[in-house]
Amino acid sequence: MVVQSGSKVMTTREAITQFVKDGDSVITGNYNESMPMSLLFEIIRQKKKGLTYFSQSGSLDGEFMVFSGSVDKMFSAFVHKWGGRERGGVIEQYQRSGKLQIEDYTNFTYNARLFAGSCGYSYMPVLESIMDSDVFKVRGFMGDKKFGTTTCPFTGRTIPVVPAANPDVCVLHVQRADKFGNAQHWGGLGSTVHACLASKKIIVTCEELVESDVIKSSPHHTIVPGFRVSAVIEEPYGCHPFELVGYRGLDTAMFSLINQAFKAEDGLKNYFDEWVYGLPDRAAYMKHYVKIFGQQMLNNYQARSYHSAPANYGIPFQSGWDHNGISHDLGVDREGLEQLIEKKGELVDVK
Amino acid sequence: MLSKKVTREELLVVAAARQINNGDVCILGVGMPIIAGAVAKKTHAPEAVLMMESGICDFEPRVMPMHVADASATRGYSYATDLFSVFATITHAGYLDKAFLGVGQIDKFGNINTSYLGMPPDSPRISAAGGAPEFYAYAKKSILTMRGGAFVEKLPYLTSPGYLGGGNEREASGRYTPGSGPAILLTPKGIFKFHEETKEMYLDALFPGVSVERVKADIPWDLKVSDNLGAFPVPNDDEIAALREFSPRASFPSPVAVQLVFENFKRKMAGSKRN
Repeated sequence: MVVQSGSKVMTTREAITQFVKDGDSVITGNYNESMPMSLLFEIIRQKKKGLTYFSQSGSLDGEFMVFSGSVDKMFSAFVHKWGGRERGGVIEQYQRSGKLQIEDYTNFTYNARLFAGSCGYSYMPVLESIMDSDVFKVRGFMGDKKFGTTTCPFTGRTIPVVPAANPDVCVLHVQRADKFGNAQHWGGLGSTVHACLASKKIIVTCEELVESDVIKSSPHHTIVPGFRVSAVIEEPYGCHPFELVGYRGLDTAMFSLINQAFKAEDGLKNYFDEWVYGLPDRAAYMKHYVKIFGQQMLNNYQARSYHSAPANYGIPFQSGWDHNGISHDLGVDREGLEQLIEKKGELVDVK
Repeated sequence: MLSKKVTREELLVVAAARQINNGDVCILGVGMPIIAGAVAKKTHAPEAVLMMESGICDFEPRVMPMHVADASATRGYSYATDLFSVFATITHAGYLDKAFLGVGQIDKFGNINTSYLGMPPDSPRISAAGGAPEFYAYAKKSILTMRGGAFVEKLPYLTSPGYLGGGNEREASGRYTPGSGPAILLTPKGIFKFHEETKEMYLDALFPGVSVERVKADIPWDLKVSDNLGAFPVPNDDEIAALREFSPRASFPSPVAVQLVFENFKRKMAGSKRN
């Protein structure tokens, strides 16, 4: 695999054009928090068709993706009814009218599928109690392949298993990344790590594109290594109106506007026209936000810093030589080494 | 260009380093593979992703780690994961380009023994399996090095399966990463490769000053020899400088290096007592 410097850094539009195809399965890396809204808006703007959407906790992301008409099928463990009791959620409406097929899993079994996929396994054991649940018994489009059973060779017990899941594309928003795609994220990780690692392609937006040395000084924050990532985009507010620890809280002003949109006739259509189709990118979206809500509103949600204590990754030696140019191991300088090599090394005539 | 005198150890390290392409994701064990990684990273492969199986991923080797979990040998690294994940989410999932493995005993199809010179419990022990069987099975390609090991007709104990019985047996089993297996074996006598179809080991290049007869003397089967026998790669000054910057002791055979290091610390102790 040959990586060219900086070749992964691009715009959101380029990344979605290049890496999301009609008919793909798409998963959001983020679990409720820091939803990659800019990437999802771009998928919607590009009118991708026939997607299978993995959404563990089908929140705003799920409702928007389904309403856009891009999604035919969903895997989910939880669906939020954004339209309230009377109107119901978009996902619910589409499922009941036959426009959307859903396969229901539990949080644990949904994650087990991703864990298996991330490890390159073909299946994973899950927990026995699920066999008494209709989540196990009622089958949607996965049919016989939704769950299986096997026999434990050590106890003889019947064990339920799930098939591995390997989504085509994972979209993810994180605090920071470098140009190679090493992506750092902290907060409520949920299913994020295995959603990324199970996927064939990973698109990362980040609040800040940083030097690789920033990443190297804090490797415990990296959730996906650069060599797994296809595209990196510096996209401030890429998860707005969702929260991102260290940057901002959930924007309740925008959420209440969206709530109203779900309740009104044609409300969601009008919201999409104004906030998704009517704006070319995230920068324009934020500009529009400030126009509608005011800068002061945005400022209300900014995080006040509370820094993690720095972890000391210091080491004693930067090379085989100390600052006086003496080898730690051999006690000689560079000239002395050449003399030692002449005396004690097994010289080879390469001519 | 090469203007310095070089040693047998240095030639082997540079030959191994040249097996790393820029951007390769590599798993390296302590010893020659790490030195090769350090040299490659400082010369032709600055964007190689070097990993140790403890979960230290994308590190910049500054000095030789004392073991595969030794983070004090690197100034930071890009991704801190764990051993299980290195095997599962990186290696088995198909993202490991190159594995560097040491050989105890090897047969003509690249099957490897690093465990026992017979059957346990009463046979001498070589070392053990470590991470080798899974890295060898699932890395896209493996680079083997052998110093002091042996070529054998039949392994008394098969630790890490190579091309099994040869031909397409490995591929046909469906148990391994497609196209995987040993690409090359480096020893102080030559470079060995594996025939594309039969998967039988053959001599591809001779170490300087070594004859085909001397190579064959170590090998209990009738070793095939390439029609156009190549030469061992000649290091350049940049590679030698990078190697000596990283580990000055690596220019010497191990027993000599151990003795030189011991003498150095004896001198240092005498000095520190005087102070």
